Amino acid sequence: MGDGDPANIIELENVDKFFGAFQALKNVSLSVKKGERIVVCGPSGSGKSTLIRCINRLEEHDSGKIVVNGHELTGAVKDIDAVRSEVGMVFQSFNLFPHLTIIKNLMLAPRLVRKSSKSEARDTAMKYLERVKIPEQADKYPSQLSGGQQQRVAIARALCMNPLVMLFDEPTSALDPEMISEVLEVMTDLAREGMTMICVTHEMGFARSVADNVVFMDNGEIVESNPPDAFFEAPKNERTKLFLSQILSH
Amino acid sequence: MIFDTALILDSIPKMLFGIGLTFQLLFLSAALGLVLAIILLLMRISGRWYLSAPTMVYIYIFRGTPILVQIFIIYYGLPQLEFVRDSVFWPILREPFGCAILALTLNTGAYVSEILRGGVLGVDRGLKEAGAALGLSARHRFIYITTPIAIRLALPAYSNDVISLMKSTALASTITLLDMMGIARTIVAETYAPYEIFISLMIIYLALTWMIQRSFGWIEKRMSRYVRSEA
Amino acid sequence: MEAITGWWDDFFWGSVAVARIFVTALILTVLFGLIGAGAKLSKSRVAKSIAGGYTVVFRGTPEILVLLLFYFGSAVTLTAIAQAFDPEIKFVDIPPFWAGSLAIALIVGAYATETFRGAFLGVDPGQIEASRALGLSNLQTFIYVRIPAMWRLALPPFGNHMLSLIKDTALISIIGLQETLFVAEQAIGTTGKPFTMYILVGAIYLGFSTIITLSVMVLEKYANRHLEVGR
Repeated sequence: MGDGDPANIIELENVDKFFGAFQALKNVSLSVKKGERIVVCGPSGSGKSTLIRCINRLEEHDSGKIVVNGHELTGAVKDIDAVRSEVGMVFQSFNLFPHLTIIKNLMLAPRLVRKSSKSEARDTAMKYLERVKIPEQADKYPSQLSGGQQQRVAIARALCMNPLVMLFDEPTSALDPEMISEVLEVMTDLAREGMTMICVTHEMGFARSVADNVVFMDNGEIVESNPPDAFFEAPKNERTKLFLSQILSH
Repeated sequence: MIFDTALILDSIPKMLFGIGLTFQLLFLSAALGLVLAIILLLMRISGRWYLSAPTMVYIYIFRGTPILVQIFIIYYGLPQLEFVRDSVFWPILREPFGCAILALTLNTGAYVSEILRGGVLGVDRGLKEAGAALGLSARHRFIYITTPIAIRLALPAYSNDVISLMKSTALASTITLLDMMGIARTIVAETYAPYEIFISLMIIYLALTWMIQRSFGWIEKRMSRYVRSEA
Repeated sequence: MEAITGWWDDFFWGSVAVARIFVTALILTVLFGLIGAGAKLSKSRVAKSIAGGYTVVFRGTPEILVLLLFYFGSAVTLTAIAQAFDPEIKFVDIPPFWAGSLAIALIVGAYATETFRGAFLGVDPGQIEASRALGLSNLQTFIYVRIPAMWRLALPPFGNHMLSLIKDTALISIIGLQETLFVAEQAIGTTGKPFTMYILVGAIYLGFSTIITLSVMVLEKYANRHLEVGR
């Protein structure tokens, strides 16, 4: 096991990731403690999505070490599935299973991976559907729901696996503006309840109010990492200042 | 030019007599072909070269040569080979029916496996990733996520292949089988009335095509009920 | 293999016949496909119904049936006409080359109609709007914007149509065209080696399909060269 601080639920050390000749992650190191809320921001192509996708091994890092809840991420299959069931992910494009009803979407993984019984899975599913405030949609199909509703279902689906960490990959970027707040509300509630989360987002208001740490990435590197007050009021790095001026000006 | 309606009315029942054989050829080849196609598909996407390479060669050969030639090779050609005559399959391969089924099955199997592969490839990557992110194993993802969606995606192309298969059954008439086409040809040979006979037969085939399309349309509708229909 | 010696010449000329049919039928297919698509996309209800009937009939009928209907039907008609002039005449037919080319072109043309129609509809309407906004006339828009966009969309499925064409030429042997299958049958008569001969025919057709597939791949690369930029 790693030599890092055992209170760290996620540990990245000197991680590199290449896509062909293009280096998406350059010597990235990051530690996440249990209960911490991290927001990762940066311009497109900065590697922020790649970073969190390496954590549940949707992308494979090329060098360096990644440890998630005591499991080091290598090629061993057993470990990967185990890691993934403890880490929840919410995607920009929701990725709800179109051929299953909402409730079935939520029940699928618990039944197959945790071997829950049908009734257990259903109870858990309804519990989380109520958490995200749309229990009445249980028997509908994803295509019948609005974008904001679908994303809330996606969050509930990830929560049904009782993850230790939640990863959010630009969860509101594909939503119409009027639906963004309903999703952010759910995420804020989650944070308040103590869920460890890493969130890639452009929603700076959310970062300010919820994050313990804001990480700025540019060109594959972590440029700056600070608690929100320090980050937004007194950015240290030139690139951070430039990015903030661009996104906060309009 | 007069249409000999009496001849038409007399011949249609005779040709319909062959419909049993047409259906046998169609359903048997379709069923066996589907099984073969699934096996070929799994081999093709297995990622192991010793499984996928032979499959690709097989598909290439069967899609690149005329089905008539395939039928002739099996019916007229195989008896030339001694080991075929001595084998346990000889009773089947000696008969035109067995040969026709074999040829049609091998042929449709190649086409359908590619159709299924198209369906599998068409499943949105994000959905598979979501399955993975939830901790579902590769096997579970393939069974519960990829397969249901792939079937729906492959359905239109598959229905076209079933229609092609039905049309190919008419080629069985070239190796003496008396399906509808075979009977029609014998009637025409006797009566020299190609228009009446063949046009009537055409109408029968068109009716069959229509029925196949309607059936698949119904299946497609049922499978797509969860897909965004309006907007 | 020695059985084939002495027959190489005949197989060669048989292959040439296949190539000639293919080229002829290809030109006709494109013609029928464009006319059909044009009719389906037009505003005229009559044109739409005729084109609709055309695609339904020729996609739903077995190829061999269409072929035999054409050949024997026209033979019967021509013979009847000829006999009106000269009762001595026993049999007049359209040369199998033309009956065959026409028949398979009509069949594949029905599929091409759908492909071309889909390709025309698939052209990004935004491009058409931009072109009109720039002041190009209808005809100019058609030639410089619609057609270039459309043939790129049609190319992959049309490649499949070309493969169908080449394989359908084997059927024309049934009405006496001296292409490779026909030659094979004669060779079998003297050598008694059906397997060898039919495999050879299969190989010849496989060669043709490979050439077509490779050509389409090259064409597709050319068609999409403007998309290769970046990465």
